Amino acid sequence: MTDVSSLPPISLTEDERDCYQEITNVAMGQAADRLARLLNVYVVLPIPNVNIIELNEFKMTLKSLEDAPSVSAVCQGFIGAGIAGEALLIFNDASFEDIAQLLKYPIATDEHQELEMLMDVANVLNGACIQGIGGQLDIDFSQSHPLVLGQHCDISELVNTKKSHWQRTMAIEINYTIEDHNINCDLLLLFTEDSVRHMNRLISFLLED
Amino acid sequence: MATQVIICDDSNMARKQMSRALPEGWDTEVTLAKNGQEALEIIKQGQHEIMFLDLTMPVLDGYGTLEAIKAEDLPIMVIVVSGDIQPEARERVKKLGAIDFIKKPVDQEKIKQVLQDYGIWGGE
Repeated sequence: MTDVSSLPPISLTEDERDCYQEITNVAMGQAADRLARLLNVYVVLPIPNVNIIELNEFKMTLKSLEDAPSVSAVCQGFIGAGIAGEALLIFNDASFEDIAQLLKYPIATDEHQELEMLMDVANVLNGACIQGIGGQLDIDFSQSHPLVLGQHCDISELVNTKKSHWQRTMAIEINYTIEDHNINCDLLLLFTEDSVRHMNRLISFLLED
Repeated sequence: MATQVIICDDSNMARKQMSRALPEGWDTEVTLAKNGQEALEIIKQGQHEIMFLDLTMPVLDGYGTLEAIKAEDLPIMVIVVSGDIQPEARERVKKLGAIDFIKKPVDQEKIKQVLQDYGIWGGE
């Protein structure tokens, strides 16, 4: 085992950032396709953001994602070939009415039904995105069961950053919106420092001239 | 004479992948563009025949580029190359005048096939 604390902090060159952005672009397209078929809608795809962030900046990153007063969130771990991370899906609570309509739920949904919808969408988006990234890097990721971080809470309450062992993380942010519907969610993929070092080696073959 | 080709994508890696995926026996001269606006300026020089166009880009995205080409009746054949594999995306770009859609990551065989289908390249 390498002593992680002795390694230099992770960073990305412009080419590496571009490469992760393009890999994400392809993976989120596959995820959007799955969601589009499930809900029979068109998913508007953004340009994903790839950044190295310090953990103490993490709450600010979360805050900047959603200015909704109330959110619900699910996280799901993934691991494979020396790479580990978490997928965090954050829903603006105002989205549930439209999702319920698209999934043909009764108009007045209770918290339990919202949880079910949240899990359904998380399974599709997280799963397809993680497998999409893994597929391009030739990694078969195993995923843990999705875990609800909170329902109807303030986004800054979602994550207790004090508990974490990570100092820095690579964060990939994808903001999904659905055309003609009031549905907005953010998928945040977080990779541990070790994973980023490993992935930087994996992508080097894609960056060769 | 070499076929004048434009590859328009905001990602440097994607531009490289696309350049590498062009058939080896095809005599081309490739011009690169980072977004739709750059591509339109290149098209207006009037020397290019075919463009491989990404959809999700800053400044001017692929949809906006196709709209401008249509509105100004610019003489260029466009093949969209995108990670957005929703059926709706494919339909929309075809309505906007793209001759075909190739999904990312690009596959060399698929490109050959599309070029031959449209008589753009005759094969080896």
